[in-house]
Amino acid sequence: MKRMTRVLALLLTFTMVAAACGSDDDGGADAAPATTAAPATTAAPATTAAPATTAAPATTAAPTVFDYGVTDDTIRVGAIADLSGRFAGLTTHIVDAQTVYWDMVNRNGGIDGKQVEFVVLDNAYDTATHLERYEVMRDTGGSGVVILSNSTGSPHTAAISEMVAEDNLATIPLSWYSAWADDDYGSHVFETGTNYCYEGMNGVEYMNDNLVDGEAKLAVISFPGEYGQDGAVGAKIAAEALGIEVVYDGEAAVIPGADQTPVITGLVDSGANMVWLTTSPGLTAEIMGGAAAQGFEAVWSGNSPSYSYVLLATELAPYLEANFLQSTYNLTWGSSAGPGMVQMEAEMLAARPDSAISDAYVIGWLEGMATHQILEQAARNKDMTRAGVVAAANQVSVDYGGLTPNQSWSGSPGENVVRSSVLFSLDLSIYTPEATVATGGSTGSVLLEEAYMGSVAAAHEYDGACFSAS
Amino acid sequence: MSLLPVVLAANAVDTFVQTFFRGAALGSLYALLALSFVLVFKASQTVNFAEGAMALAGTWFLSMVFVDWDIPGRWLGGPTWIHWCLAVVLAAGMTAVIGLVVERVAIRPLIGQPHFSMAMVTLGIEVVITIVAVDAVHLTPRVLAVPWGADTFKIGGAFVAWSYLAAMVMAGAAFLGTWRFFKTRAGVAMRATAFDQEAALAQGINVGRVFAIAWGLGAALAALSGIFASMAPWGPAGVVSRDGAFFVFRALPAVVLGGLDSVVGALVGGLIIGFAEVFAGQYLADHASLLGYGYQQVVPYVVMLIGLLIRPYGIFGTKEVRRV
Amino acid sequence: MRGRPNLYTSYEAETQLFPTTTKKVLLGVGLLVLVLMPFDLWVVDQIPVVRFLGDSIWLRLVNKMLIFIIGALGLHLLSGLAGQLSLGHSFFGGVGACTAVLVGGKASTNLWGWGMPMWVWLPAAGVVAALIGVAIAPTAVRVRGLYLGIVTLGLVFIGLHLSRVFPEIAGPGDLGRKWPRLELRFWKEEDPFLDFSRDGHWFWFDVSKHQKTYFFLLLLVILMAWWAVNLGRTRTGRALAAIRDRDIAAEIMGVPEFRYKTTAFALSSFYAGISGALFASFVGQVPPEQWSLRASVTFLAALLIGGMGRVSGVFMGSFFVVMSHRFVEEIVDWAKHQAEGEGLFSSVFDFFISRGSGDGGLISVAQTALGYPLPASALDEIIYGALIVIFLLFEPLGMYGIWIKVRNYWKGWPFSY
Repeated sequence: MKRMTRVLALLLTFTMVAAACGSDDDGGADAAPATTAAPATTAAPATTAAPATTAAPATTAAPTVFDYGVTDDTIRVGAIADLSGRFAGLTTHIVDAQTVYWDMVNRNGGIDGKQVEFVVLDNAYDTATHLERYEVMRDTGGSGVVILSNSTGSPHTAAISEMVAEDNLATIPLSWYSAWADDDYGSHVFETGTNYCYEGMNGVEYMNDNLVDGEAKLAVISFPGEYGQDGAVGAKIAAEALGIEVVYDGEAAVIPGADQTPVITGLVDSGANMVWLTTSPGLTAEIMGGAAAQGFEAVWSGNSPSYSYVLLATELAPYLEANFLQSTYNLTWGSSAGPGMVQMEAEMLAARPDSAISDAYVIGWLEGMATHQILEQAARNKDMTRAGVVAAANQVSVDYGGLTPNQSWSGSPGENVVRSSVLFSLDLSIYTPEATVATGGSTGSVLLEEAYMGSVAAAHEYDGACFSAS
Repeated sequence: MSLLPVVLAANAVDTFVQTFFRGAALGSLYALLALSFVLVFKASQTVNFAEGAMALAGTWFLSMVFVDWDIPGRWLGGPTWIHWCLAVVLAAGMTAVIGLVVERVAIRPLIGQPHFSMAMVTLGIEVVITIVAVDAVHLTPRVLAVPWGADTFKIGGAFVAWSYLAAMVMAGAAFLGTWRFFKTRAGVAMRATAFDQEAALAQGINVGRVFAIAWGLGAALAALSGIFASMAPWGPAGVVSRDGAFFVFRALPAVVLGGLDSVVGALVGGLIIGFAEVFAGQYLADHASLLGYGYQQVVPYVVMLIGLLIRPYGIFGTKEVRRV
Repeated sequence: MRGRPNLYTSYEAETQLFPTTTKKVLLGVGLLVLVLMPFDLWVVDQIPVVRFLGDSIWLRLVNKMLIFIIGALGLHLLSGLAGQLSLGHSFFGGVGACTAVLVGGKASTNLWGWGMPMWVWLPAAGVVAALIGVAIAPTAVRVRGLYLGIVTLGLVFIGLHLSRVFPEIAGPGDLGRKWPRLELRFWKEEDPFLDFSRDGHWFWFDVSKHQKTYFFLLLLVILMAWWAVNLGRTRTGRALAAIRDRDIAAEIMGVPEFRYKTTAFALSSFYAGISGALFASFVGQVPPEQWSLRASVTFLAALLIGGMGRVSGVFMGSFFVVMSHRFVEEIVDWAKHQAEGEGLFSSVFDFFISRGSGDGGLISVAQTALGYPLPASALDEIIYGALIVIFLLFEPLGMYGIWIKVRNYWKGWPFSY
């Protein structure tokens, strides 16, 4: 009998599942069910302002046209982000900042008098799941969106790239792969900031010019794949152009989850005095720790995802402070007092006072800004169809308020690809590990160059990805 | 950012000594984990796949106890490193409680079911504990405040990290403790249970308590290995991170090579695999492009397969007597 | 006398797959529903779960489930039927996928591929995986139980390493390469005569690519499942079951253990290879890291949750494993609506749901960042893990066991106790 109760309880659960999924389905027979599989949708709050009168002036007679993802009073903006996979720690903060951004936009009257509804779905850093989520985003019924403001991951974004072009859905990737500016993707995939490849060129050139005494000997260490090898190839292009000897070539040599002895051995034995890493913070710590434990000293730097301010809390902090050049695509939390930074900090303070400060917030904020300005441009063009949004993205010039150099996707790939990266040194004395948004603080980065473009990156002729599979 | 002169291990002997310590330290960690697997297997004939999650929980507890609450330190005087060691013991104890709960709630009801149902249950538990712990870790870095940090000392021209030495001492202590434990009344009871559960039951041994002890000890050892695997020369370099949990799966070849039910096997298997991985990494590094990068990850499994072809129950494992 | 349940007058009658008329009718109706599911029909819309599974958004997930079922059927043959624990099932999926892309993929400077049509690469994927299964069988047969589990776990890592040694086949790590599409050609001609990866027009219906793929996969699953079920009733199947139940006894009775275990490995790998090839082709581009331990564990979880040793259990378990995350999401979403609404239990839901930093509750719908209260994305992982535990603790026979209990309850009603 006891067992029977359990069975009944389970049955009840299943009925509830069925009811839950069934009850959402309203509307006509051929309308797609309104089962928005959205774990975190920002419901548009009722605005106190009256945007209708101000935003739709009577002077322009033609009404704005729109097709999918936009209605008379809402605009649906989508994000397929990694909320539970390998990069969840980073991506959740990025998405959270964007949520705050859209709340701010809605409070200020929305876009063209429409409220923005931010639809976030989880891809768990899995390609198949990403494609399933994309089915929701591209939907031509009530579930679809008009722009994807975040598509986490390179293989994932590459997997949807063909469909994105078919569906005319503008997409901002959360990945800085050098292929995105290429014509194959460039018409629909809009990368924010520079890419791994140019970042590698800039990092190597800056280290060579400013940080290394005497003859430079470079070691390149990276993951295999689109991220690792893109960055490593960039570093090697710079080394060749500047006549720097590559004494250890560890392109694709770092395999996550393995003991890193071969890489450390190769690095230490090579006698390199500058190192370019394209790894993750964990692997950076392991390789750097292993090399330092053998008395190895050099100037280190690496692609933005190789470093995280979390490393400053580790035992390697003094070594990092002395030897590491941080490279990123945008400013870090609190590292400047530009208008974009001030606005972001104020908004985050109002919305998330108890959250820990994070550099990832800036990335989310940038994605929000880019999407916002693309949509504003589309609204000015009176065309908020998906095709209209893509066209707007190809003509807009985005003002990032100083968070990163302003950007435009018009013109040829060689013209519009961003070639400058942001460089920092590290300072332990200003780093505040326990800081929340309310208390304020720093992630330990001291700005060296706001927009550093080395001679190699400036002269490089862009013709597609630095590293590609084929 | 200054550039200090590059100091290298001067000659082949120094390189060997350095590599030896790396290998011995890694082997000690594997042995520690293998011991934890073996204790659980001896009692309940299953592999505890939740060990990684328990290791993660252990590092998290240490960070809470020592850094956030300053637990023994707020009442005791004396040097900090003693406080830290006590905090480690406390964290291991807290993880042992998780082990006890898991055993009581999820393992004991499954006695008599196929062994891999139990193994699957531990996989389910792994998912739950990991997610809860990762969410608790948040993005704020949680430090372990290891007293010796990333410091090294020199033997001749060879650099040796203090963490390597600490890992070896810890593993040595754990094995010595286990050996002593098997001489006690509870230890004998455990050995009897491992030998024949029904016979032990008939002799009046409280098999349930033996299970509890094994799972508690297993979880505590997992916590210890998680803490030591999170120190400076290894991946997470002194912060709580999920990498520490993944480390556990690397220890499985060591367990199988030594034999799933042998304590001596855990030690020998752990050391063999640790040395094999590090020495192959050091001395075959020049051939990496031929062998394929990451070949060192496959070395433990190759060694394990060769071992199993010779002895299908591991080097020290008991051959199962199969009855019709 | 005729027509009474559980009365069999011959051996043939007893071993029939669908012995009673009721079962035959149910099978027919079930198949009809499955075929009609992706279409927007009034009749189908009345069936609670089916109504939304056929929707274009969900159909991709259903297709993934169908591919998953093929792989799970393979593991069923090895673990459910022959009792051999394998954590290396995803390795064989990877072998199948790599074979498929080598045989069917497009070659370029850094990639190999022979560009052959699907009727070559799909069987080839299965056959090559089966051959590799045969090749490792001598090692695998020597070890038993959990030892075997860990040895097969080694396969996963060796496979990952091989993918890095041959990026020309698998594509670079973390990126992968383009797989051949699901489309049928006679040979290498320009236009396929049947293209499952593009929207099209069949007879006088418009069919989307997902609907096309669905029918193709459904047919394949029915064939593969039919084969798997029948296998259990043959000499081989009985031999495998005998080995599972007591291998020494089986050997004494003249069942050659080595030969049949090798057969089990080959068959299981064949299914895994087909499943892997289909999956990669279906997704279009998969990184080599896809074929991980986690994927193997998912197959095993499907078997255990569905009910070990039963083909119907494979179906139920696969449904659960592939769909459960989405169901949890839907429930959280539904609970959120309830909490916001004016319903009878809205305060109860409000208690569990947190809508901002000041609002208490277990699940956060307001923010997506990790930490407490838990975001819904973390919650579905936890529930998935917890359900594995709960199933194994309370219902070792899995969902199949629940079904049997429910059936027996109604059979015996009103005297069921």
